[in-house]
Amino acid sequence: MNILKLLADLAATPTTQFENSTPRREALGELRRIGAKTLAAALPLGLGALPTQARTTRTILDSLQLALQLERLQSAFYTRALTAPASFFPADGSIRASIVKMQAHQQQHVALLTRLISSNAAIPALPTYDFTGSKNNTQPALFPNVFSNFDQFLTLAQLLEDTGVRAYKAQVEFLTADNYTLQTALQLHSTEARHAARIRTIRRQRAAVVKPWPSPTDASITVAGKTDVVYATEHATTQVIYQAPTSTGAAGTYKPVPFRLLPIGSGMELLTVSVPEAFDEPLSAEEAEALLGLFTY
Amino acid sequence: MSTLFLARAMQRRSFFRVAGATVAASTLVLAGCGDDPDPAPAPVDNGLALVGFDANRNPIDDGLLNYAYLLEQLEAAFYQKVVAAPPADLLPGELGYLTDLRDHELIHREYLKTILGSRAYDATLSTPLEFNFSTFTLTTRVGVWTAARQLEDIGVAAYNGAGKLLVQKYNLIALSKIASVEARHAALAHELLQSDSFASTVGADGLDDAKTPVEVLALLEPYLPIKVSAADLSTT
Repeated sequence: MNILKLLADLAATPTTQFENSTPRREALGELRRIGAKTLAAALPLGLGALPTQARTTRTILDSLQLALQLERLQSAFYTRALTAPASFFPADGSIRASIVKMQAHQQQHVALLTRLISSNAAIPALPTYDFTGSKNNTQPALFPNVFSNFDQFLTLAQLLEDTGVRAYKAQVEFLTADNYTLQTALQLHSTEARHAARIRTIRRQRAAVVKPWPSPTDASITVAGKTDVVYATEHATTQVIYQAPTSTGAAGTYKPVPFRLLPIGSGMELLTVSVPEAFDEPLSAEEAEALLGLFTY
Repeated sequence: MSTLFLARAMQRRSFFRVAGATVAASTLVLAGCGDDPDPAPAPVDNGLALVGFDANRNPIDDGLLNYAYLLEQLEAAFYQKVVAAPPADLLPGELGYLTDLRDHELIHREYLKTILGSRAYDATLSTPLEFNFSTFTLTTRVGVWTAARQLEDIGVAAYNGAGKLLVQKYNLIALSKIASVEARHAALAHELLQSDSFASTVGADGLDDAKTPVEVLALLEPYLPIKVSAADLSTT
């Protein structure tokens, strides 16, 4: 194992910065699937312990692979929808036009992620998708008419886009060793959020009880044990913030933000509705993969 | 935050200097780096210099958190003003949206103020800043949503550009929870003005806009009563 690579991985938990002169093309050069635990075990004596923040075994490559899975699935989903007859889409032409835009974005995202990954690892074979959720008719379908009933299609589109937003959000902390990849992920993240909001506004125009942002007031569109993971932890009423340790060497702590005591207005539902709406929560890689797994076989 | 130095040729000499010393692992990233070129913060007349480094020239997040706090203050003040005197021609549901937007921005503002605590730039000010919205037309729905669209798009680009500059992961996570909600706000404002315009900020590779603090502060200048300088913030 190359010591320079190890040091580079260590640098993924920096407390200092240095000049960025790395060309984008090379920014991801020779990533290795090394996690912090492997790294600690492999470190030569005398190089000290890992920084305390290093508590994950996800690499940049892991995060990119997850993003590729997600974007491929979304791209296939919209591509398939756009092959449906014109009668599948509403009379308002701007709606199909938005789906066309989203499909184009997802294709661009797939191409970008493929470029980033391919210089470091093999690109996995494309999975087989079944957007009904029946896993090729081996179980009851979750969305049996997903490409014939437009509202069913929109429901799944919302679930996938919201999953995308939350999945990217959970990955950014693993990308901090590389400015280019981190910023790219944030730009992908907010693109997905714009998609999600657009899908939600279309659904609202079609009389669904839904806001452009995930809200506890949204009518449920999930199935327990299947798709409920998408919003299970999204409507959190508590946010915690990091408190630096008071003495050197002590661990930091997290404390809840006391919204009840802060000047955020006096509405009845501020704490139960507005606070959950004001924050999108991360969704772990495992949870995101479980959701994507419902539509692959 | 940092850059991978895989691609950076590491001087053998500097490597052995690091390997031979009992240093904290985090200082390893200094190996092979040039001197810190950042100038000392320039004094700003009647203004605010965002702080990017501590006394030992180690990068800190205070300046960027205050930058985000200022953005959220501006947005909250904007929606407060609009909701207090809404345009007469709002369409059904739009006042509800504006009220939600105001509530979200107030919550974001107080969240960031709580994170900053005594490090908030205005922690010792007796009165908060008064923002200037005179360049907006707030008497029509189109004027209001045009202004909202502009402010929200700036906010999204600001968060997208600031993430990599943060030092602490917990701050990156904290801001990313807000960033996507701002993007949802922005998309809504776009749609209320022009159907299917939700993604007009999305450019090459399907990537949404990102701006540096310097670019963002230049755009915000008309609305701010003070000069805000990003000169001390790290640019990588």
